[in-house]
Amino acid sequence: MEWFNVISARLRALFGREAVISDIEEELRLHVEMETEANIGRGMTPEEARLAARRSFGNPGRMAERAYEVRGGGIVETFWQDIRYGVRSLLKQPGFAAVAVLTVALGVGANSTIFSFVNGVLLRPLPYREPGRLVLLDETAPKRGVNAMGVSFPNFEDWREQNRVFEDIAAYNAGSYTLVGDGEPEQMRGARVSSGLFEILGVAPTMGRTIRAEEDRPDNDTVVILGHGLWQSRFGANPEIVGRTISLNNRQHTVIGVMPPDFRFPEVADLWIPMALDEQRWTRNDHGLDAVARLKPGVTLEQAQAEMAAIAARIEEQNPVTNEGLSVSVSGLHKGLVGDYRQALLILLGVVGFVMLIACVNVANLLLARASARQKEISIRAALGAGRWRIVRQLITESLVLGLAGGALGLVLAVWGLELLLAAIPIEFPFWMKFNLDWRVLTFTAGVSLLTGVVFGIAPALQASKVDLNETLKEGGRSAAAGAGHGRVRSLLVVAEVALSLVLLIGAGLMMRSFLRLQHVNPGLNPENVLTMTVSLPRAKYKEQEKRPAFFGQLLERTRALPGVEAAGAASNLPLSGSLWGRSLTVEGRPVLSVGEAPMINYCVITPDYFRSMGIPIMTGRDISETDAKDALKVTVIDERLAREYWPEESAVGKRVRFGPPESNEPWFTVVGVAGEVRHERLDRQTRKTVYVSYQQIPEPQMTLTARTSSDPAALATAVRARVKELDPDQPVTNVRTMKEVVARSVWQPRLYAILFGVFAAVALVLASVGIYGVMSYAVSQRTHEIGIRMALGAQARDVLKMVLGQGLLLALIGIVIGLGAALALTRLMATLLYSVSASDPTTFAAIALLLMGVALLACYIPARRAMKVDPMVALRYE
Amino acid sequence: MSQVKADLLQGTLDMLILRAVSLGPLHGYGIIQRIRQMSEEMLNVEQGSLYPALYRIEQRDWLTSEWDTNETGRRAKFYSLTRAGRRQLKIEEESWDRLALAIAKVRQAT
Repeated sequence: MEWFNVISARLRALFGREAVISDIEEELRLHVEMETEANIGRGMTPEEARLAARRSFGNPGRMAERAYEVRGGGIVETFWQDIRYGVRSLLKQPGFAAVAVLTVALGVGANSTIFSFVNGVLLRPLPYREPGRLVLLDETAPKRGVNAMGVSFPNFEDWREQNRVFEDIAAYNAGSYTLVGDGEPEQMRGARVSSGLFEILGVAPTMGRTIRAEEDRPDNDTVVILGHGLWQSRFGANPEIVGRTISLNNRQHTVIGVMPPDFRFPEVADLWIPMALDEQRWTRNDHGLDAVARLKPGVTLEQAQAEMAAIAARIEEQNPVTNEGLSVSVSGLHKGLVGDYRQALLILLGVVGFVMLIACVNVANLLLARASARQKEISIRAALGAGRWRIVRQLITESLVLGLAGGALGLVLAVWGLELLLAAIPIEFPFWMKFNLDWRVLTFTAGVSLLTGVVFGIAPALQASKVDLNETLKEGGRSAAAGAGHGRVRSLLVVAEVALSLVLLIGAGLMMRSFLRLQHVNPGLNPENVLTMTVSLPRAKYKEQEKRPAFFGQLLERTRALPGVEAAGAASNLPLSGSLWGRSLTVEGRPVLSVGEAPMINYCVITPDYFRSMGIPIMTGRDISETDAKDALKVTVIDERLAREYWPEESAVGKRVRFGPPESNEPWFTVVGVAGEVRHERLDRQTRKTVYVSYQQIPEPQMTLTARTSSDPAALATAVRARVKELDPDQPVTNVRTMKEVVARSVWQPRLYAILFGVFAAVALVLASVGIYGVMSYAVSQRTHEIGIRMALGAQARDVLKMVLGQGLLLALIGIVIGLGAALALTRLMATLLYSVSASDPTTFAAIALLLMGVALLACYIPARRAMKVDPMVALRYE
Repeated sequence: MSQVKADLLQGTLDMLILRAVSLGPLHGYGIIQRIRQMSEEMLNVEQGSLYPALYRIEQRDWLTSEWDTNETGRRAKFYSLTRAGRRQLKIEEESWDRLALAIAKVRQAT
């Protein structure tokens, strides 16, 4: 039980000065009583006895104090003392404290900003019941290298029937729906979902109920669930909303429920209707759905993956034509949704980590300089009996105070920084990504502040406490001995700073170069002065297929008549807008391939003059024209890459192609023209080749208008909208943007990286320059005496300049060399984020090295000049 | 026997305290008494120096303390020797013996 007593005594001493003192006082009191008794036994009267006892003890109050001092207040008491002392000593040097706190704040602020962002995307659990048990299912074609094909409805139904590893699976498909009534006609974002989806997610409606299985059928699906926001904004939070009917895409749907606030599955949906797909229209070849499932208790992800792969193999056997080479991937829901961004986010965290390191180095340097100045104070404390450990503890406590103060300010900066970051990202975040300062962010910030306090405090503390009492307490102690040791550490820190900054600057340089290259990529079209807007005709309203091209034909006619419009057309998929339609291609006269091997092309329905409005050249043949009508010869315009691939020696005009699965009975389309290549999917590389068909022959209900204007395209938007309203007052338009905006938006990620890297690298450069300047400055001031001697012995001012500059530049050079090595190793990690720039691009490396050398030169120059101006007489006199 | 002024050096007082407690747990007052008793009244520890010494020894984990009641029912804080304390006592006594031997040699040398 001995150890128990030891520990509990320690604990008691730790907490509460009062407890310890009263304990002592009681012990002493009892001692006095015993002495009193003994005195009575010796024959004194009770009063005399007590007085004698007290007297032999001395002053009990002072005794208690002395005893307490010996016993000590424990760790907590001394800690508190150290904190108060640290704060006081920082306040005595407000300049130093301000610079140090600001530096830490910059580092912590940057880190917390990025961490909050990463937290919202990667770390916060999804807002569903037991989100760890949810998985994302997708179809894959591993042999073709496709791993996110989209799910087809019949495959999904087979999965649901055959699996034994999921509690339930649901399919969903985000889309937009025209809502009419109770206000202006509006295009709402919503989703078709299988019955059972909400149960899989574990989210219950606040009003009404969810979709029943029998409503998930094409003939019985006229129900809708509203989102909370939509219910409030459009329906005035009407408590009687359940049972009302609303018009969606020209069909009447009955409201059966309202979901809780802040639920917009899958991303930004405001309403949900039953999937209700029929196998006629949605064949095994139409991969357009997403699927989510909940694992049965006890089933692991690997087990589910294995089972689904087996099921996919079985389906492939039974449906060899459609499902050849297709398999299934099962991944954790969160990972499946954001896995692609993980790498970039981790890189960002690494970058801000570097910035934090540089900030730490700076503050460590500042502390070292300050510790040199405090040598006398520390030596006195040592002489008075403070052990080395005690002094180190006190200095580190001071650093922790600095760290926390910087951290608090950094948190404020982070709030602001996060706002800026989110504003710079043009996409609408899914509802489940929340970027606020939750406990994870606060813990992270506090942890980083404390950690950096220790990191930058430990070297100076250890250095400073290493005192040679004799040297420093001597009258005029110039801390020469301490200076040498300090000098080495400071030089090391400068080298580290230069190296770290170099790595960051190179990263930034690469990112910016990459982004600039990207900006200069020719997308194949001329985005200047082009207005775009999407019109989505509800299928139910425009059931007769002829009505659709009729609408668009008329709309375009009226649009062309507007003043300032040079050309107008429309396309089902606007380039670089994320809108894609993939189909298989079969070329006449070439071997018929299986569906797994047939090439996938980008299928685009266009109107005449679309090419002209977008500035896409027609290389040979002609554009789609109005004569390519419903019953005329089926025509197509292909892009030049396709023409060159299949008919490199001859003209492609007159050749025939077919779309869809190879064995289907789709009609043949005759090539009438070849258009210039367009970067349809992404700006940074060629993807699928594009094939264009006539809007009259393939009547698509959703088309995006493109109008080339002679002046500002945005000014025309209202006029075009009015034309739409003329034709159909209930038809809303969406995505009103200029083509320039569309292109810019398509590269928002590289732009963001370039900006972020640039900002952080700039901060690092500033910190490093200040650091180098500070160290050189201090070194010079320490060596004033030595410089004076040199000059007295005949050294010219020029020589002194050379000496100081030389030393500074040597350090910088070492740092640059180390930094180059580190950069070569590390930039490899971001190679995938770069466009057309190698991760070891020599030009960038060389340019940045020179830049940093130049900055170091400048930072050393000013102190060097000061060294030059040293008056030897003054220096020698100065002790 | 005349009393030796117990204005003893810190280390010596520690050794006496440890010795006294080695025979069994004692409270502060009892430690003074036992030292007096063991030295046949020659050593009388100053009350003022006792408690600081006791607390210091306790800080070094050579003693542990526990509140308890003695035979007469009075509450008191009893100190007992720890294993480390027992070792420290041995070290101090050995070093004291060596010192005494050295001094004796010096005194005998002419």
